[in-house]
Amino acid sequence: MDVTAGDILGFLSLTWQQAIMLGIGCLLIYLGIGRKVEPVLLIPIGTGIILANIPLGDIAGQGGLFALLKEAGIDTELFPLLIFIGVGAMIDFGPFLEKPYTILLGAAAQFGIFGTFFLAYLLGDGWLGIMDFSMNDAASIGMIGSADGPTSIYVSVVLGSKFTAAIVVAAYSYMALVPIIQPPIMKWLTTENERKIRMPVTPGKVTRRTKILFPVAAILTVCLLAPKATPLIGCLMFGNLLRESGVVKQLSSAAQNEMANIVTILLGITVGGMMVADSILQLETILIFVIGIVAFAMDTAAGVIFGKIMCVISKGRINPLIGAAGISAFPMSARVVQKVGLEADPHNHLLMYAAGANTAGQIASVVAGGVMLMLVPIFG
Amino acid sequence: MLDALWIVLLGMAIIFAVLGVLLGIMTVLSRLPEEDKDKKAE
Repeated sequence: MDVTAGDILGFLSLTWQQAIMLGIGCLLIYLGIGRKVEPVLLIPIGTGIILANIPLGDIAGQGGLFALLKEAGIDTELFPLLIFIGVGAMIDFGPFLEKPYTILLGAAAQFGIFGTFFLAYLLGDGWLGIMDFSMNDAASIGMIGSADGPTSIYVSVVLGSKFTAAIVVAAYSYMALVPIIQPPIMKWLTTENERKIRMPVTPGKVTRRTKILFPVAAILTVCLLAPKATPLIGCLMFGNLLRESGVVKQLSSAAQNEMANIVTILLGITVGGMMVADSILQLETILIFVIGIVAFAMDTAAGVIFGKIMCVISKGRINPLIGAAGISAFPMSARVVQKVGLEADPHNHLLMYAAGANTAGQIASVVAGGVMLMLVPIFG
Repeated sequence: MLDALWIVLLGMAIIFAVLGVLLGIMTVLSRLPEEDKDKKAE
């Protein structure tokens, strides 16, 4: 037999690219455990990266565990949709239902998706051609701006982007960095006086009937107007209906806990398993991470600018800062708004309004995903 | 690039339109009277 030591011992076959990926995997695990940055996702993703890049391990190769999980859960779009049922069961849309106008802030903040799409397409096949970004890739990269992992995965898988793994990791990583990315932009775009605008804290008056009718109304409205968003909004609102109906507590609990946790483990480790050195260590992938920050910055800026417009229209009754919570990074961006508001005025509590805009942003990002899936095939 | 610009403009317009309709429905829903059970619970 003609067998060398390199065919048996993994470390002898280790390439420098694989070594870098092993380092990245360890870094993500460290960030998750040591720094508590999105540990629920970064630990499975980091572990997946390490396992997928072990030479001769074959876990990500054809027939391997990760290949099977990818085929069963990612390629079929199953995992992100199941996650959405869990997310829907976890979200209380009460703050949004109390202030329905905050949905406009959620809509405005989705500009980051489309602005980033335009930028990526400009760098790729659209004009400059310096990157290998097709229109489908650019649309998928733009979805980093949804600040919503499952939506990013769903859209990039449906559009068949070759950068799905990088897009997903960028989306989840930057969600954790919202407290760092958003405040400078919020302060730069608002005056001290605007940040000091107080919004009265009023006790909630949303009835149970309204909370139950909302998911049904959202499904009918959004799905009939933007049918491509049906799987996403359908699963999100189904989960929410389980929660708000109050008669299937065991199902709501299972969606929020057992199902969401199991799918998160499978999704995280599969996404990590997709990050194999050969396909990840490219200039395009590095650029996707840079563009991801631009996406979050544009989301924030668009939300705050629209907040300023609403401030003018309402004759100074709306604090523009709450526009920054229009991105769907829930609940981080609502907390950031509260913190920046308190810095300007220690008695200014914007959390309830920001939470409304934040949950509205969750719906808006799903709609944006559906709209992207509708428009790209038409123009692509 | 013109196609991409159309996607940006149409995309934002559709999002505002869809969510605007949802806003209208939510405004109506948020003004629904309380149920008897809700009142009793209070």
